[in-house]
Amino acid sequence: MAYIPSHKKRHRRVPREARLQLTSMMDMFTILLVFLLKTYSTHGQLINPSQDLTLPVSRVQQPPELGLDVTVSSDWILVNGKPIEQTPEVARMEGFIIPRLQDELIKYALEAEKMEELYGAKFSGKVTIQGDRRLSYRLLIKVMATCGQSDFPNMRLVVYKQEE
Amino acid sequence: MAYRPSKRLSRSLGEVHPNITPMMNLMVVLIPLLLTSAEFVRLGVIEINLPPAAMGPEGEMLEDLPLEESLKLDLSVTITDRGFFISSSMAVLSGDIEGEPSIPLVNGAYDFQALSMKLYDVKKKAENRFTDADRIILMAEPSVDYQTVISTMDAARTARINGRREILFPEVSLAAGVF
Repeated sequence: MAYIPSHKKRHRRVPREARLQLTSMMDMFTILLVFLLKTYSTHGQLINPSQDLTLPVSRVQQPPELGLDVTVSSDWILVNGKPIEQTPEVARMEGFIIPRLQDELIKYALEAEKMEELYGAKFSGKVTIQGDRRLSYRLLIKVMATCGQSDFPNMRLVVYKQEE
Repeated sequence: MAYRPSKRLSRSLGEVHPNITPMMNLMVVLIPLLLTSAEFVRLGVIEINLPPAAMGPEGEMLEDLPLEESLKLDLSVTITDRGFFISSSMAVLSGDIEGEPSIPLVNGAYDFQALSMKLYDVKKKAENRFTDADRIILMAEPSVDYQTVISTMDAARTARINGRREILFPEVSLAAGVF
């Protein structure tokens, strides 16, 4: 039998252009946009909070600044993420100075001073201390005394900001 | 022959879709941009003010001041396991009972609000009379935890009195004390 082209199929209407319902998506995006604009910060995150420590909460309003990062968690003392000394070990030590931490800090200070000579990048001796909220005062003072004795006198304690 | 009523009168326009595609493009670009710079954990820093004597060469400047101008308050707060002791170069502020802390513990917890109020009284009296009326020294027992120290700093720095924020002693220094 010969092929007979179907009249019906030939004149079937082509489907119209499919339209996506974007309105609800727009609503969602608008809400997201407003939320993100509210939490927008011009300088991003200068300090990355460490994993295994809970910072204390404070009402202070001062924004964080860049500096050498000294972290005191319940297990380790870290400088720029590098483990230096075990915290329980430090708690048992006599005196205010933590020798290994001091060595490390002086290394950083010398490097920064060299940078200052070569490139003119000002060495301000800034150090940010991130301490766990359960840290004892004795340990805090030891860490701070060591920083002060190792050419880092500008100490800043990192805290979570509490909204009033 | 009469005219047939115009068909245009009854013709509906159908659904009109605004073209929101460019808007969508904008959103798709803006949202990742803002997401990367969003600050979810709000961090702050507390600046530690070293006592002038520890600042080395700059400390010498203080000695040059005439004696009558360098009237010092030397206010300090000591955190102990029984509460706060407030003291100055002249006297220790005693609590209700002799020998007890200036601000004793309330139900086993530190009373930061009472500390703020007390320091506010001190501030009102000390203002314009001492050269160091915005400086306070913090001391603590070795076992006091970090959060308590930070909260005490907050209480010493500002106070909320009748809904207003009062600046008390913004320059907080830490002292080691005798261990």
